[in-house]
This record gives sequence, structure tokens and C-alpha cells, in this order.
Amino acid sequence: MFFLLYLRREIQRRARQAAVIAIGLAVGIGLVVVVTATAAGVKNAQASVLHALYGIGTDVTVTKAPSNPPSSTHGLGGAFSPGKNSQVIDELVGGNLGLINGSSVARVARLAGVAAASGGLTNLTDTKLTIPSVSQLGPGGAPPTSAVSPATFSVDGVEIGHARLGPYASGSITSGHGFTASDSRAQVAVVDSYYAKVHKLKFGSTVTVAKKQFTIIGISRQAQGGGSADVYIPLAIAQKIGLGPFGASLGGQVNTVYVSAKSSADIPAVQKEIAALLPSVTVSTSSSLAGAVTGSLASTASLANDLGRWLAVAVLVAAFAMASLLTMAAVARRVKEFGTLKALGWRSKRIVAQVMGESLVMGIAGAVLGVGLGIGGAALVSALAPKLSATVGANPGSAAPLDVRLNSGGASHTPAAGFNHTVAVHLTAPVTIVAIILGVVLALAGGLIAGSFGSWRAARLRPAAALSRVE
Amino acid sequence: MYKLTGVTKTFRKGSQRVSALTNVDLDIDDGAWLAVQGRTGHGKTTLLYILGGLDRPSSGVVEFAGQDLDKLREAQLTRVRASSIGFIFQTFNLIPTLSALENVESALIPLGVRTTERQRRARQALADVGLSDRLRHLPTELSGGQQQRVGIARALVKEPKVLLADEPTGNLDEDTRDEIINLLEKLWRDHGLTLVLVTHETSIANRAQRVATMRNGRLTIRAQSKTVPRQTSPDLQPSPEPG
Repeated sequence: MFFLLYLRREIQRRARQAAVIAIGLAVGIGLVVVVTATAAGVKNAQASVLHALYGIGTDVTVTKAPSNPPSSTHGLGGAFSPGKNSQVIDELVGGNLGLINGSSVARVARLAGVAAASGGLTNLTDTKLTIPSVSQLGPGGAPPTSAVSPATFSVDGVEIGHARLGPYASGSITSGHGFTASDSRAQVAVVDSYYAKVHKLKFGSTVTVAKKQFTIIGISRQAQGGGSADVYIPLAIAQKIGLGPFGASLGGQVNTVYVSAKSSADIPAVQKEIAALLPSVTVSTSSSLAGAVTGSLASTASLANDLGRWLAVAVLVAAFAMASLLTMAAVARRVKEFGTLKALGWRSKRIVAQVMGESLVMGIAGAVLGVGLGIGGAALVSALAPKLSATVGANPGSAAPLDVRLNSGGASHTPAAGFNHTVAVHLTAPVTIVAIILGVVLALAGGLIAGSFGSWRAARLRPAAALSRVE
Repeated sequence: MYKLTGVTKTFRKGSQRVSALTNVDLDIDDGAWLAVQGRTGHGKTTLLYILGGLDRPSSGVVEFAGQDLDKLREAQLTRVRASSIGFIFQTFNLIPTLSALENVESALIPLGVRTTERQRRARQALADVGLSDRLRHLPTELSGGQQQRVGIARALVKEPKVLLADEPTGNLDEDTRDEIINLLEKLWRDHGLTLVLVTHETSIANRAQRVATMRNGRLTIRAQSKTVPRQTSPDLQPSPEPG
């Protein structure tokens, strides 16, 4: 075919220029593919972090800030007075989240777009401390050092009927079994594998929560280890034995509602519906929680989304401009050639098609090269990216959990150091078919833009003027 | 073949209007050979481009084979060029990336001639100009005379009614110049063409049936140099180059 023959010969003649155009486009396309892949990787990393914290099936979480945020030092029910004998205190307190009436869970579950809803008492802290006897106090009534640091661990109350939602759901049972329907009012517990290892707990042994003995029915391991509690117990039991902020009863209360939407498209609508149903709560989705993530993962996210995207756009624009200028320069050099073809009876359309065809071939070369560069670059990002850390508050919008300290005035609560969860994630840059298609479309668009500038110039040539051109 | 009546062509040059052709009247018979002489910048090439439908007159009428070229739309004019008019250029104007054969073929592309037929006709045209052994050569691999022969083959391959040659020997040495003019004369006779040849060389112009002179855009038929009856002597040898 004469069209292809002429096209091939012309590209061979301008091989160096064609290579420059193709490489320019390829660099732009490669950057787009790498940035898109990195952004996808960051999104995956964020999702894995958030799923670890809030459960794989959870699309929306509902929490509430406590009505009176605790001050940094707050006496719990007054001071504990040292007596003749030492006293052991073991209490389960949920001080960092406001309470939501348990009936709200059923109301949320009935909303359109909601597949399931589950209530939970999360981030309860079991604190065991010993109030020394008068004889154990030091000079000035100071407590002995051994009494200052109480033993604490975190406890989650899990709604047994909907155990597939929430942080408990993201763990996998490595020993024993998970909760069953018959466990809803039993003093049984599932213990996190790390906590179990440190405290030498195993399936069948017991753990004491608020002075109650719980039989361990299973050991659970979290995928990312981020938001797991140390001990999971049935919600009904947690409501019975736990205390809310300032010693309030937890009976019939939850502090977190985990919601799964029927489809990801329903999530924004579900978020709005819940906010309308329960005006005083904080409704969070994966995407809104992503904004609460800090640490190197967040830095990488902003690097990929902001700097990377703009860099790719800038390089693409430069590549398009360069391709257009070089093509126009090539057409300018071929004015007499096109004038001759017009004199031979070639229609402008045919000449335009020839110029467009040449540019399109360079675009295709740029696309192939660019996608290759992009895949290589993404592989390099995956191979060389350092381990990233993501830091996220346990429940955005809530107050920090409290540590209990004993001082001369009695027991006091201070914000816990470990309020934020930090999760280490490995960044991968998966090249999706969408990224490849985007790259190819952009490269072809670059070729077509360059070609249309050149063609526009070629089409406008008056044959007499073109032939009169002195070269 | 051609009837030009009151043809004027003006160009804008900066703020001034320059007249390249002024009120040109000209009849060219079917099968005639007209030489157009004149100094550079006096309108020879403009006249040729207007005859070839590459440019339109500012005023006046250009009739070609009974139709007013100025009334044709651009696409129709392109079709006339593709089918009926062959151009030969001073600088050959071959496509540098195409071989001799492909350059000749390029003239048949707008006519939609199929590949096999196109190649057969292009080979024949190159054989007619004595270049059967240079089919695959690129223009840069050919001498000036050979390149012009390819240009002539390209002009003739579509079997046009008219051959318009703009200083076809202007870039050639003396011997080659004679070869090319002899060839053109032979082809003119053999193919029954109407030939309009622009030249500033009197010796070449004198071989045409009629000689027109352009001076400041005005055309005068200077003399009928000689009358060469067409088709009377098919084996007529090219005239020797006048001193």
C-alpha cells in the first residue's frame, strides 16, 4: 500500500527526530503510568491499614465524642484511701468514646443501602492496680514505686451476631475457635496472639477482666496488627462489667457502630443517612479516615497525588509541545514536497492523512515505549520503596484513651501514650490495565495533537506558494 | 485547448500591489507547442501555474478544454490536475524518500489506479524515458538529467492532455539539456500532447511552434519560430542543438 510505503520511508528519513518525539512521549507516558501505579499502591496501603483498624467488611464507622472530654488529670470516683490492708482494683473502663444507645444499631441497620450494622464497645481498658496499705507508704505518704504503674490491656466488646464486622473480623483464629451464637452471654474471650504470647496465654486458659474470669476459646492474629485489642469478649458481658466515661454504666450502650454498605456506590449515601439519623455522632468512611492517616504513608500519598501528578502533567505537556513543534518544523521543511503532490493532483485530505499517519506511528511507538518504561518504573518503586508507616488515631473524633496512675491524691487518668496506632506497610505499585490504557490513549492523543498541528499547516498550503518556496 | 481572455494576476507585496500578469489574452491549440520566454520575475511561472490550475487569476477567464477553471471548486480543480495536466519542474521536485518507480507511481495515486497496473504503467513510463535500469534508485542516486527524466516520466504516466514544463533544463548542463529537450520533443510528437514550456533560453524556445514573451506581466507572441507538423514523422530524430 502506497500510504504505508511513503509513511515508512518518511519516518526512516526522520529517524532521529521520530525517536526524539517517541522518547519524549514515552517519558511522559511512563511517568503517568508510574504515578498512577504508585497512587493505586498508596490507596491499597491505606485500605489495608484502615481495614486492619476497622475490619475488612466495614465501610462506615459511627462513633461519638464524650460529652465532657476528660481533663488530663481526673480523679476516678474520688481518691482511694490506703487502708490497713492493700486493696486490689480491677476495672474495665471505656473513657475515650461517647456512648451510643444500643438501639441505634438496629435503626442504622434498617437504613436503605446498609447491608449490616454491628455495635461494639471498643478500646475499653482493663486496669489492675494495687492500692498499698498505710504501712507500705513511704515518707510523706508517697506510694511505693511498684504500685505506681498498673497493668493494663485493651478489651473490645464484640456483638456476637455480627462478628464479621469490626476489628475482631480482621483477625484470623490460629488456635481454638471464634465466638459462636451461644457465647453471647458467656464469660469467654478471644485473645490477640501477640498478647497471648507475651502473657503465656493459650486456648483453654483464663484471663481476668474486671475481676471476672474468662475462658479463652480462641487465639486471633491480626493481619497488620494495627488496631487489634488484646482481649475480645462478648458485647453483652462488656456492657455488664464495664464502666463508661466518669464511671457511667455501659448497660445497653455501645461506643462504635460498624456498618457495611450494600455496595461501595452506596457508601456516601449511607454516610449522609446515618448523619441525619444520629446528628450527634461522627460518621467516618474509609476515604474520610484516609485523611486522618499521618506518617510516611501519608507523605507518600501526597507525593504521589500532588507532586507526581503535576510532574507527569508537566512532562506530558512538554512532550506534546515538543512533538507538535518538531512535526510543524518537519512539515515546514516539506512544503515544496507537499506542493508538488498537490500539483500532481493529491487532495489535501490525502496529504493530511499522510502527516497524521506519521505522527500516529510516533505516538504508538511512544505508547509502547512509555508503557514499558512505566511498568519498569513501577517495578522499581515496588522494589526500592522503603517500608512506610501509617499513624492513625484509634477512633477519629474521639478523645484519647486513658492511663491510670496512682499518686498521693489517689488514682488519676492521663491520656495514654499509645493512643495512635502506627502500622508498617510495604508500598507496591501495581500497574493496572486502566493505567496502561490511559498511557496508550495519552500517547496516541499526543501523536494526534502533533499531527493535527502539522496537518493544519499542510492543508493550508497553496500549491503555487508551496512550489515557489526556495529551499 | 486553452483560451485565456484578459487574465490578470496581482499579488500583495507589503502595502503595494504587484501585477504579475496584466490583461493576458492567449489561445493554445490542442497539440501545440508553445514556448514562453522572458526574464526572471516577469510572470512566466505565474502564467504556467494559472494554466495548470495551481493558482487562480485575479480577473479574466481561463478556459481549459472548454471549461472555465476559475468556476471549478478546489476539489474539481484537483481532479483536473490529477487527470489532465502534467508538470515538469526546474528543480525536478522528486520525493526524496521514494525510488524512481515510486515517484512515477505517485502521479497515479490520486487516480486510484490499482497497484499492479500502477507499477506496470510506471515501469513503461520510465522505459519511455530510458530509465528501465534505474527503477529502484532514490533521487539522490541519480544524476540531474536522470532525475529530470524521472520527473518527465511522472508527468507523462497519467497520459495527460497538457504538459507544463517550468524551465526543465534550468538546472542541467549543456549536454543533458539537449538530451532532455530532444526527449520532450519526441514525447510531444509521439503522445500528441499540448506542450507549454517556460524557458529563458532562446535556442530552446526556437524549437517550439510558437514563442511567447513575457515582459512586466504582459504577453506578446513574438514570432512563430517554425512549424513542425505533428505525427508526420514518428521516427523524427531530435533536432541538433542550435549553437
